[in-house]
This record gives sequence, C-alpha cells and structure tokens, in this order.
Amino acid sequence: MQLRAAIGTADSATTLNQSAVKTRRPRGINWSYAITSWLGFVPFLLFCLLFEILPAVMIIQSSFVDSTTGALTLHNYSNMLSQAGNVHAFQNSISLSVVTALLGAFFGFLAAYGLNNLRTNWLRNLIISYSSIAANFAGVPLAFAFVSTLGVTGFVTVLLLRWFHIDLYNGLNFSLYTFWGLVLVYTYFQLPLMILITLPALNALRPEWREAATNLGASNFTYWRRIALPILLPSLVAATMLLFANSFGAFATAYALAQGSINIVPILIAFVVNGNVNLDPGLGNALAVGMIVVLLIAVSLYTAMLRRVSKWQGR
Amino acid sequence: MVQAARNINLPISKDRSTRQGFGVDKVVLILVLLYLTVPLGATLIFGLSTGNGINFNTYHQVFTDPDFSQTLLLSFGLALASTFLTVLLVTPTAYWVQLRLPRARPMMDFLALVPFAVPAIVMAFGLIEVYGTNNTLINILSLGLVPLLSNEPFNVVNTPQLLVCAYVIISLPFVFRPIDNNLRAINTKVLSEAAYSLGSGWWRTFLTIIIPNILPGVISAALLTFSTVMGEFTLASLFGIYTFPIYLNGTGQNDAHKAASLTILSFILTLICVLGIILLVRIRPGSRGKEDRLDIVAAK
Repeated sequence: MQLRAAIGTADSATTLNQSAVKTRRPRGINWSYAITSWLGFVPFLLFCLLFEILPAVMIIQSSFVDSTTGALTLHNYSNMLSQAGNVHAFQNSISLSVVTALLGAFFGFLAAYGLNNLRTNWLRNLIISYSSIAANFAGVPLAFAFVSTLGVTGFVTVLLLRWFHIDLYNGLNFSLYTFWGLVLVYTYFQLPLMILITLPALNALRPEWREAATNLGASNFTYWRRIALPILLPSLVAATMLLFANSFGAFATAYALAQGSINIVPILIAFVVNGNVNLDPGLGNALAVGMIVVLLIAVSLYTAMLRRVSKWQGR
Repeated sequence: MVQAARNINLPISKDRSTRQGFGVDKVVLILVLLYLTVPLGATLIFGLSTGNGINFNTYHQVFTDPDFSQTLLLSFGLALASTFLTVLLVTPTAYWVQLRLPRARPMMDFLALVPFAVPAIVMAFGLIEVYGTNNTLINILSLGLVPLLSNEPFNVVNTPQLLVCAYVIISLPFVFRPIDNNLRAINTKVLSEAAYSLGSGWWRTFLTIIIPNILPGVISAALLTFSTVMGEFTLASLFGIYTFPIYLNGTGQNDAHKAASLTILSFILTLICVLGIILLVRIRPGSRGKEDRLDIVAAK
C-alpha cells in the first residue's frame, strides 16, 4: 500500500486519479467479501478465545484480585515474593531450564553436525527417525525409564555397583530425585529436539561458502568463527529458546519422577490446584503469571531470531 | 531451483567431511545416541527381570489388569476425538486464511505460538478457573459462551469434552505448521481458482483438490496430536480424569517392574505413531527434501 502511494506521488496527476478510481471500485465490492472472509475465520477464532485466550486472561486478571474479597490488589505478588520457597522455585525452574537448554543445545548441535556429515543415507534417516521418536518420548514414561535405569535399584546403578564397585547413591552421593537427576532426565528429550531443529539450518549452510573461505586462506577455525557460526547464530539462539521454554513448562516428567519433592514452579502450581498444601489460589495465579512472563521473554527472543534466520537461509 | 542446486551440492560437502575423518562431532553423535538408547534398553531389561532370569510375568499382570485396558481405551478415545477435532478445525481454517484472508495470518501465527508461552500446567489452571467460577469479565469477553458451557445442558466443567478442547489448543503449534507449510508449497490459489472456474464449489475444492495435496502435512499433524494426547499427563491429572498416563504414574509409584513394562508399552505406542508419520509421509513422492517434515511436539 505504502509503495503504491509513493509511486502515485511521483507520477503525474492523471495516473494518480486513475489509481484512485482503481482502488475505490473494488473497495465497494470488497465489503461483503471481507465480511464473508472473516466469517470463515470465526469458528477457529471463537474456539481459541474460549480455550486458549480466556484461560490466560483469567489467570492474569485473578493474579491482581484478592481471592477472598475480590478487591484489586498486588498482595498476591508480594505474597509470592515474600516466601523464600516460591522465589527458590523460580530459581530452580530457571536454572534447570537454562542448564538443560545449554547442554541440549551444545551437544545436540555437535551431534546434528555429525549427523549432517554422515555419508550413509539410510543411517542418517534412521538416526533422524530415532531422534524424532526420542523427542516425543517424554512425560511419565520417560521418568520411569530413568528410574529403571538410574534409580536406587535401577539397571545401570546395579550394574555399576556389581561390575565396577561404583556406588552411585551411597558412594558418590548421586540421586535421581534431585535437581541434577532432573537435569539428566530433561536432557533426554532436549537432545533429540535440538538435533531435529538444527538439521535444516545446517543443511542450508552452502558448501560454496566454505570453499570460498578456504580459497581465501581461511583455516577451519576461521571459517567457523567468521562465517558458519554468525550465519547459524540466530537459528541456534532460537533453538535454545525453544529448548528453554520446553523444559520450563514441563510438569509431568518432574512430577512422575519425584512426586513433588523437587521445588519447581509447575509443581507448586499443581499443589495450588489440587489443594494439597494450604496455598492460596491467588498465589497460584501469581506463580502462573510469573511463568508466563519468563516464557514470553523466551518466546519473543525465539520469534525475533527466527525472523533473522530467513535473511541468510532463504526460508 | 535453489533446492535442486542444494541437493547437488550436498554430496560434495559430505566427501570433504570423510576426508577429515572421525571428528569430535561423530564422537558426540555416538555418545548422544548412546544416551538416548541406554535408558530404553535398561528399562526393557528391568521390566523383564524379576530377581533371577527373564520372565514375561509383569506383562501378563499388566494385560490382565482391568484398569489398564480401561484407561488405555479412554486415552485412545480422547486421542481420536482430539485428533479429529484438531484436523477438522485447523485444516479448513488454514486453507481459508491462505486463500481469502492473508491478513489474518499473523493472528493465526500468534495463536499457534501461545501454547509455548502458556504451558499445559498454566493452561489447565486457567481452564479450571474459567469453567468453574463465575467471573463477570470472562462472561462478557466470551460473549456469554462461558456461562452457557458451565451450566446444564452443555456443562463442560471437568469433563473429558473440555479436556479434548484443551488438547486441541496444545496441539496447535505442531498442527498448524505442517499444514500451513504444505498449503504454501502447493500454490493453493492457482489450484483453487482452476477448480472454481471448472465449476467446483468451496467444499468440493477443499475436499477433492486441496486435502489430497496436503495429505502428508495433515497425516503428520494428526499422528503427532494422537501421540501427544496418548501420553498427556498434566491436563488430565489436574482435571482429575483417569487416563492411561495417570494409571501409569499410579502403578509406577507402587511397582517399579510393572512401571518399566508399561513404559516399554508406551514407548511402542510412540514408536508406532512416529513410524506412521515417517512411512506415510516420506514414502509419498515429492515430499522428499522438505526439511520441515519433522515437526516436534514441544509441549511436555
């Protein structure tokens, strides 16, 4: 629209008139067309309003309302921040997500690079399919898989004890049901996710760029430092943000693993909903809004980075 | 064209990497694959071994448990309903937006992105609050629909129906993308105009021209939704509906060996769904080389 207006001012008066006539005529017809166009969108919009937007609106609104009197208040937030347990839950959730996102991003990227360089096509496809299965294998079954592997009587725990005399639980003070145990479990679904997200970006790295760099005397390191990484960076940051959001909102895995003994925000919210602990619903809303705020930052970074990806990788 | 050029160039880059030999990336790849496999193998053995020797006793116990078949059936029904509703809601809308309402695309993108910022646990909390308490603001904003849905005869409060609707929302991010990508790839507008000019109506065009062309995207979206709902725990647990993952969690807390067997079973379920996507989508000619065919469930 702007472009057309700019052309119009540069052109002579007659063409300006012509373009005015041209745009006015369809506009008269367009009215009913536009209305029917929007009508076709209404069912979906209404569905999203009812089950997606309103729950979010409700949570934000209730977080500013006193749950007993119904008056507007900031008490829920001050209540949330004044209790060390809640602040600690946010710290735990954020550090858990940062650690698993970074671990997943780093090793996932290297693995994806290795996968991208695989010659054998069938093996490559097999690994991609396997990653796709592993990325979808999460929640309660994943937690139990790790209990069977690294739990107190888990297969690997017992194996290490019998064969190598390494006692994970009593000797090394390891426990699956703590923060670092959760890191191990979350990394399981972060790694394949990272592989799947990064592969297309790696695939779009043109071999010509490397050849050109090598011709100009760049070493392998310089190529990565000056060409590949800067091009990949938006994709990598976007992927890391996605991994962060993915583990920040995860509830089922942590709950099935530790049944609420790990203090993270999703588990606190579940407590509020189930009324297990005498927590105030207002506090639950404040916690939920806190989660939304943290995730909004991650998601906006994600979309901002995706927009920059398109510049070099022609998506 | 660009795609073709890229495909030709790919083998060259691979040749170089083989000359470089076995680098750090390959080592990491093997370690990662090992990391992804060990828990599965360990769980399989753990489920089969009960002290001494291997036996299939736990599997027998699992299959004869009435709760097992009951919850599995419920989850299956929920998954079918959610998949059906998702495809029914998203596919025509995506087509409609592509064809008649390009202006609504950013809104569609936004709605498909919201589940990332509002995770399942928050969504469940919000839904329980919306459909359970009487709130004037919500009543007005929903155009009177929430009170209608919260009271008889359309009461959805804490019912499987509400759960299905929530599952549809949760699936949006990975349902809208593949369908939309496919719609963009097939030149929807030209196909539709050709069909219209030959006298075909909207629905006929949609069902007989568009759907067959975007089938790979629809299938992968449907199977991903199905697999997600089969394993979804958060919403079902907060709504208090006894689905398969809830049963799995309850059993697992008491009997670790039984839990291991159930875990293997649900892994096989995931396996079937993902293999279904791979076989149905990738075997079709023309879908090769498309990198966005693998869409991932990111909402756990």
